Formats: sequence, structure tokens, C-alpha cells
Amino acid sequence: MEEEEQVTQENDEFEDEETSRELVVPGEVLTEDVQDFIPGRGTIFNKDKTKIISLHIGLKNINKNYINVIPLRGIYTPQPGDKIIAIVVDKNPVKYKCDINSKDFAQLKPRNTVKRMKSRIGKRNYEREELSTERFDIGDILIVKVLSADRLNKPELTTIGKYLGKKNGGIVISIDPPKIPRLIGRNGSMIKMLKNLTKCNIFVTQNGRIWIKGDNIAYERLLIEAIYKIEREAHTTGLTDRMQLFIENEKKNRGIE
Amino acid sequence: MVLLIKDEYPEKLFQENGKRLDGRDKKELRPIKMEVDILKNADGSAYIEWGNNKIFAAVFGPREVHPHHLSKPDRGVLRVFYRMATYSVFDRKRPAPGRREKEISMIIADCLEPVLFLELYPGTAFEIFIEVIDADGGTRCASTTVASLALADAGIPMKSLVTALAVGKIDGELVVDLSGIEDKAGEADLPIAITWFNDEISLLQFDGDMDLAELDTVLKDAKEAAEKIYEIQVNTLKDKYISIQKNIENEKGGED
Repeated sequence: MEEEEQVTQENDEFEDEETSRELVVPGEVLTEDVQDFIPGRGTIFNKDKTKIISLHIGLKNINKNYINVIPLRGIYTPQPGDKIIAIVVDKNPVKYKCDINSKDFAQLKPRNTVKRMKSRIGKRNYEREELSTERFDIGDILIVKVLSADRLNKPELTTIGKYLGKKNGGIVISIDPPKIPRLIGRNGSMIKMLKNLTKCNIFVTQNGRIWIKGDNIAYERLLIEAIYKIEREAHTTGLTDRMQLFIENEKKNRGIE
Repeated sequence: MVLLIKDEYPEKLFQENGKRLDGRDKKELRPIKMEVDILKNADGSAYIEWGNNKIFAAVFGPREVHPHHLSKPDRGVLRVFYRMATYSVFDRKRPAPGRREKEISMIIADCLEPVLFLELYPGTAFEIFIEVIDADGGTRCASTTVASLALADAGIPMKSLVTALAVGKIDGELVVDLSGIEDKAGEADLPIAITWFNDEISLLQFDGDMDLAELDTVLKDAKEAAEKIYEIQVNTLKDKYISIQKNIENEKGGED
């Protein structure tokens, strides 16, 4: 089964090598030149609109005349259309309650877990699957898509779609959500390199959870170590080349080829 | 047998050479050491050693509020739990949270709230747990300082860091950063917290007596001293990432 990661949005911001690697902290003044620059993501004007100030601990990035701060720590905010990994934590006859590593628990309704057939007129004995929450159990790991999410209501999920549904086998690990774009790399360069070198299937999701399945446990272990190394060194430059060297060296040391 | 030990304060709080009892000048701070990201299970954490004070802070959130009736439908809530260890002071401190701890928890929450965007997280709570392991005067200021570091480390959007310190008057002289004895035996004690977004004062408590002219001077001193502490806060937050970059560069240099 070939898994292709669908997550490509946001990655050019983090991966851009031209990004200045200047670290900023909350409250640090990014610029006092308010004529030429506009506050972008993760920034704010001060009260008199004479300075632009950072809101996060992160990396300063200038895109045209927007000043952005790319955060290094933070939480995941669900967006409609995101493919994420959810864990079923509770269920009742009406819905499942899922942990999606966000501030709210998400809900998965049974009608979003069964593919609806087109109604066949004239075939009265057509058996339609009963809508109930017996499909999944508490503790199951699902790959889901976010149907709707906003600031006030609980996010709603669906398992209908390509690659979605329950996963059998494999390992799920979790890293900081803001570092996911770095793991994917520019146009997926990092993830392609990891796949080729470790011969594992990887499914990277926006909420910081990563599903891994390989033929060999030694490769899986190496890959997990590599992912944690990427997380730790996400703010440094030349990461893809360094990781390639790291994996090749480790393969020799561990005698796996 | 009941052993009674009375708290005894020295008569003079200055040495003969004009320095304070611990050898500091009037506007000198105690040695400060900070660290971030030290607790694995917290979203963000920090540790401070300020003189003899040793304090941990851990931040969780945004997450569900328990008990649920405390949640607010239009904004998040900030909850602070300031606790002192039983062995942190001279007498055994009773472990149950008392009046003093509840008050300090409240003032820390009130003075950190203006820098957070609570309206973006309705129905959730940010929780800060502050554990005082060793106490020697000025724990509420040190706790505020370390709590703002832990919030920044957790990646929560903030307008700025918050820096707090105590200033006061001992033996008729205005001094900065009171220690435990100076706090108890001195004339006036004035904890103050500054948010660097627009340079606003976020906390101002006062105990003792002082005239208005002295208050103005002491507030200026406080701001000068707070700038020094702010610099340490910023460097601590950045050092975590800069040290990783430096290690990599050193490894590269070694290979070549």
C-alpha cells in the first residue's frame, strides 16, 4: 500500500532557506519602520502603531512587505480539510469523541463513517447499513479529515475518503505541531529522502502525529530517532543534507542495509 | 517538649562599610539563574534561582476546564496555582493552601492576564503550576517572572514577557530587590511587575510607609533593575535554541 502525504500547505514558509534564522521572543520589537512593513502572521502593532512586535518565540521572516514570525512551539488549530490522526477516547450510541491534539475534543458522527449509496429506486430490499457506533472501539487510531472547525464549536470529523479510516499495524509518534512543515521539507524533499532511505511508509499529519509502518523493526527505530532529531533541530540550516548523512552513517553503524 | 525559637532580626540592616547584610550595594540584584523546558510532561516549563529562592513553573493548556462550571463561554480563563513546599521556609509550612497562597495565585493571574489573548480560546483554561521549593523573600515576584517564561516556552501567543521585582526602604534608605530579612525588618516593601508591551505596570502592592517623592525615585530604580532581569529572561529563552545550533556547528568543525 503506497501512502502519499497530502500535506503540502505552509511548508514553503518554514523551509525557505532565505528565511533569516533570527530568533525572536514574545514582545521583541521586530521593526519600527511601520511605513514599509505590515504585521503578518504571529505579529502585532503596539498601541500607538509605532512598532511591530512578535507574539511567539520563533523565527523572524520577511515576505515582501509582510513581517511574519514562524513559531517554534505551539498548539494545533484544526482547519477544515486537514487530514489528521485522531484517537477515539469515548463513544456513545450517537457519536465518538476523538482526541486530535487540539484544545477541544473532536466529534465523529456515525453518518460520517459509512459511505452512503445512491438510493436505488424500486429496490425496496436494499440493505442499508445501520447507523451505529459499533464500527470503531475506544482506543482505535483513525486517519480522519476535518469537516468543520471554528473558534466556538467542536470540530467535526469524517472517515469517508481516500486513505482515511482505521489503521491496522504501524506505529504512531507525536511531535510539536509547528515543526511538521520542517519534517515535510520544501516540496516534500525531506519526507521523500526519509522514505527512500528507510523503506518505510510514513503518513504525516498537521496535528503533529506521524504514522509509520516499515518491513523491518530496525528501520522503524532508525526513522523514529531521525524524526525526533529533526524536531529538535528544526530551526537550524542545512537540515536535509545533515539528516541524509546521519541516516547513512547510522545504517552502517547498525549493520542494516 | 515544645521548642520555641523566636524570629530575631538584626538591629541594623546595613554593614559599617555601607553595604547590605549579604554584601550587596543598594541597587544591586541577587544572583539570578533561569532555565526553560525542564519538565518533560508540561507544555511549557521554567525554573528560576533568585538568591536563595528556588521555583518551578509548569504551564498546561489551552485545555478543558475542570470543574466545568468555571469555564466562560466567551473567553478562556487563566488559573494559577502557587504552592509552597512544607520545607521551603524556616518553620514547617502547613501543606494546605492558605489565605496567603490563594492571594498570591490571584495576583499572579491578574498580572499575567493582560499579555495573553484569552478571548481567542473560549471555554478553555490555561493552567500555571508554581512550586516554591526554597523561599527567601520576593517569591511572588520571582514566581511571576518564571511563570511568564514558562508561558513563552509553551508557545502561547503573548504581547510581551512580564518581569517583576520588589523594591523598598530599609533603615531609611531606598533599596532594590529585598531579601527575606529586609522584607520582614524593613520599613517598606513594594512588589512591582512590568509588562514590556507599552511599558505598563501590571502589579503594584505596597506595605509600609514612604513619602511620594521616595515612591517616584523607587519606581525609577525598579524599572532600571527590571530591564536587567528582562535581559536574562530573553537570553534564557533564546539560549535553548542557540545552544543546539552551536553544538551542530562544533560537530561540523570537528569533522573538517
